[in-house]
Amino acid sequence: MSSYKQASEDASGWQPRIVAFLCNWCSYAGADLAGVSRFEYPTNVRIIRVPCSGRVDPMFVLKSFERGADMVLVSGCHPGDCHYTTGNYHARRKLLALREMMSFLGIDPRRFKMSWVSAAEGSKWSAVIRQITDEARSLGPFESFPTFTLQEVKK
Amino acid sequence: MNNQEVEVEEGRTLLDAARALSIEIPTLCHHRAVPPAGACRICVVEVKGGGRPGLVPACAYPAQEGLVIETDTERVLASRQMTLRLLLARCPDSEVLKELAERYNAEPLPLEQKDDKCIMCGLCVRVCREVIGPSATCFTGRGADRTVSTPYKMLSDVCIGCGACAFLCPTGAIDPAEFCTHPLEKIPNEFNCGQDFRTPIHVPFPQAVPNKPVIDKDNCIHFKTGKCGACKSICPAGAIDYDMEDETVEEKVGAIIVATGYEMIDPAVYEEYGYRRYPDVLTSMEFERMVSASGATDGRLLRPSNGKPPKSVVFLQCIGSREEKIGKPYSSKICCMYTAKHAVLYKHKVHDGQAFIFYMDIRSAGKNYEEFVRRVVKEKNVTYLRGRVAKVYPRGDKLVVRGADTLSGGQVEISAEMVVLAPAMIPSSGVRELAQTLRIGYDEHGFLSEAHPKLKPVETNTAGVFLAGACHSPKDIPDSVAQASAAAGKALGLVSHEQLTREPTIGVVNEQTCNGCFECKNVCAYGAIERKELRDRKGQLLAIVAHINEGLCQGCGACSVTCRSKSIEVQGFREDQLFAEINAVSR
Amino acid sequence: MTTVTSLTRSLREAAAQALTSGEAAVVIGYELNDGEAAAPAFVRAPEDAERLIFDESCFGNLAVYLAKEEVRRLGKLAIVVKGCDLRAINVLLRENVVSRDDLLLIGVRCSGVGRPALRKCSFCEVRDPEGCDTVVGDPPEPPPTDPGKRYAEIEAIEELSMEERWAYWQKQLGKCIRCYACRQVCPLCYCKRCIVEKSTPQWVETSPHLRGNIAWNIARGLHLTGRCVSCGECERVCPMKIPLGSLGDKMAKLVDEWYGFRSGMSADEKAPFTAWSPDDPEPGIL
Repeated sequence: MSSYKQASEDASGWQPRIVAFLCNWCSYAGADLAGVSRFEYPTNVRIIRVPCSGRVDPMFVLKSFERGADMVLVSGCHPGDCHYTTGNYHARRKLLALREMMSFLGIDPRRFKMSWVSAAEGSKWSAVIRQITDEARSLGPFESFPTFTLQEVKK
Repeated sequence: MNNQEVEVEEGRTLLDAARALSIEIPTLCHHRAVPPAGACRICVVEVKGGGRPGLVPACAYPAQEGLVIETDTERVLASRQMTLRLLLARCPDSEVLKELAERYNAEPLPLEQKDDKCIMCGLCVRVCREVIGPSATCFTGRGADRTVSTPYKMLSDVCIGCGACAFLCPTGAIDPAEFCTHPLEKIPNEFNCGQDFRTPIHVPFPQAVPNKPVIDKDNCIHFKTGKCGACKSICPAGAIDYDMEDETVEEKVGAIIVATGYEMIDPAVYEEYGYRRYPDVLTSMEFERMVSASGATDGRLLRPSNGKPPKSVVFLQCIGSREEKIGKPYSSKICCMYTAKHAVLYKHKVHDGQAFIFYMDIRSAGKNYEEFVRRVVKEKNVTYLRGRVAKVYPRGDKLVVRGADTLSGGQVEISAEMVVLAPAMIPSSGVRELAQTLRIGYDEHGFLSEAHPKLKPVETNTAGVFLAGACHSPKDIPDSVAQASAAAGKALGLVSHEQLTREPTIGVVNEQTCNGCFECKNVCAYGAIERKELRDRKGQLLAIVAHINEGLCQGCGACSVTCRSKSIEVQGFREDQLFAEINAVSR
Repeated sequence: MTTVTSLTRSLREAAAQALTSGEAAVVIGYELNDGEAAAPAFVRAPEDAERLIFDESCFGNLAVYLAKEEVRRLGKLAIVVKGCDLRAINVLLRENVVSRDDLLLIGVRCSGVGRPALRKCSFCEVRDPEGCDTVVGDPPEPPPTDPGKRYAEIEAIEELSMEERWAYWQKQLGKCIRCYACRQVCPLCYCKRCIVEKSTPQWVETSPHLRGNIAWNIARGLHLTGRCVSCGECERVCPMKIPLGSLGDKMAKLVDEWYGFRSGMSADEKAPFTAWSPDDPEPGIL
């Protein structure tokens, strides 16, 4: 559906940037399957491959926001199916705690998403990205988080 | 015997000697399970020397040193003939007797015929008394009124319903259901899709490995009541041990191949096809078992409703396959080919029968498969109709199959005596739990996930676990065998090296900054974190820090996130590497 | 000036006894100080036990010294502990920082520090500390019958809208001068190399800019999740009066509600971030 190519540019030329941490065995393979199966999804997402969703430290998420991401997604295997047995359980606890902390401080928790996408779920992956890209677009640029902008450095 | 020398163990009978020489002697009241009685006299043989001359029953007469026996003299034949004539007078319809009578030219006697099935061989009485124990039946009455019955012809309190009497009866004359006070449940034979029944001790199917009987404890009378025990007393090898317990065996292995196979959906969810409502609607598996020579009907295709061969059969393909609403979206791959095969088998068994196949598309992609289907259409006169069936319903004693024929653009109604459904193939039940235990993936249908759809079709994401067969995706025998060979090759390749090669992306502890809190140890799913003592040159203990076992660590990184001081790095996914990636993509 | 109560007397006796018998090499306790809070005391000679006091000025969480290697090297440590301090010690025991055999716990029954008593004391369940080698003091006063809700402060913040919360925390965390007093006073911040000191890569910027301050306080809050015992020392010592206690309490509320866990109640518990359940709550996971 080529409508995605047009939709990702709005009047000001701003596009949301989504940083996604994908576990190698499930979500990354699922994204790969989406590609092989030619499912279409917006190109706003940038994927960082990790061995397991349990490898994702909350500091990675914060640094992504600091560096300019408008939305961060962490995606792993479904609970019970983790390639390393328990990694996604630990990710679930720590990263949801991060989201609660963000929310407590008044940082929009909708900017941080988590999903479970298995290696066979190419279509789910593309649906998730379509959904969160739409949401990122409607939330707008993540300005409330004091990002590292070039203007600041020059000052 | 018959001019041949033979030696048998002491205590054995002439019948054993004859069998040792492969000399055939007919028997009626003899069964190896039960002590002989010599009641029917059909097994008589003639003693020519070494003992008192005359006719003796081979089943009961003990073998002795120096006996000379003839088994087919005129005297013997005449005796057998008369015995049969007398027995036939009592039971003129007995198939067993009629067969023997034909062999020995025994004509029926000009006597008033009785209509009895029981030939008074006494096998039932003897087995119940000598082998099983309760002695529920006995001979009652005298002379012409002698019959086999329970005491006073009353319902029996002691009959345990084992069915041994019915099993041994050569003419099918006794039915324990008539006098047993227990409910007698027959056990449907699972392998024959419930088309016949089996005993609690049974070999599951002819090709079972190991090909040995197994006792179904839930239905076995011995396990339920403590009685019977017939199998143990009859087994010549003494192989039956009721005290055997299930053993849990632990084996350390280097590779596992998962080949858990498939099941089929229950087509009753499609009420319009009438499965389980109309007896003549079968699944393809039930059809397959019925036409098999080792099946319930010895390979005869018979309508369940009336036991006669069907003159017309309609095959419905794609029951639950390629159907997204309540079925499976995928094609089950094997049904087009086996339906064509079934149509051919049907025509072989019923030459003038009519076969129809309703199909959506024909999937015949294997070697010579398309040619086979073409032959089925052209040479075997099987009618292929491209369309779905809307409904199957009874009319009279037949079934009406109403469907579409899209190639001719109309609806068709076929009067069928049998309807065969091809249900969708699904992975075996319990496979999801197995997959979680083995830490391998599966899709939404339960089919196990290969490591890569093109490049690694038999490996899984867990090193050492391989896949073969229908547990991976619907496939037929040649493809399953090919995949199994590939999986076996991969497994052998894995275990045939002297050294284990592994991915280097494992964790490493910075011993300077590690605080020794060991929260990492609590998180490691593989027990790869060990305690390491750091000592100075004098041997004084400086600190106890974490150490990662290189053989056990799988590189998941959970320890690295748990470590608050960031003292663990995962090679290949180090903090600085991920930092660089985050920097690059977040702008 | 503090009156010599029977508690103080028993305390000094217990300390002197421990030192005389050689059971402990040092007694860590409180002594008089100019200023609001009692000063920490390291008593090595039995006669110096007279310096030890215990009253409402004994705010400090002395467990922080157990995490210091130079203190542990002194030998077996006797330590004066309130219930709240003991919770921190349980976490240190669980994390192999110090071994129970190397400690002599002198518990004090405490009815609250501060005049008026600190808010945390109204919710204290450990006024009579358990598991100590000796306990001194009269049975403590029961806590107030209606202290309000334990996490009332947290809930007040959670009632605010996102914008109001952000405005509040922007103001508060903007004040942070990165003095790390909060880290220094916390018994559970004992890392030889703190995450804020890691420079390759630098996850937490060190300059006192709001962005780095947020990262620092989030990092500390997450590192203390399931460990913080809500002793409140961090907030007490912050020179900029940032409500740091609410960050720790927010995470304590989270693990209480989501995982039924309260830190420091025993030395054998499994911390929420090293444990898991297949049925853990997962609100909003796609």
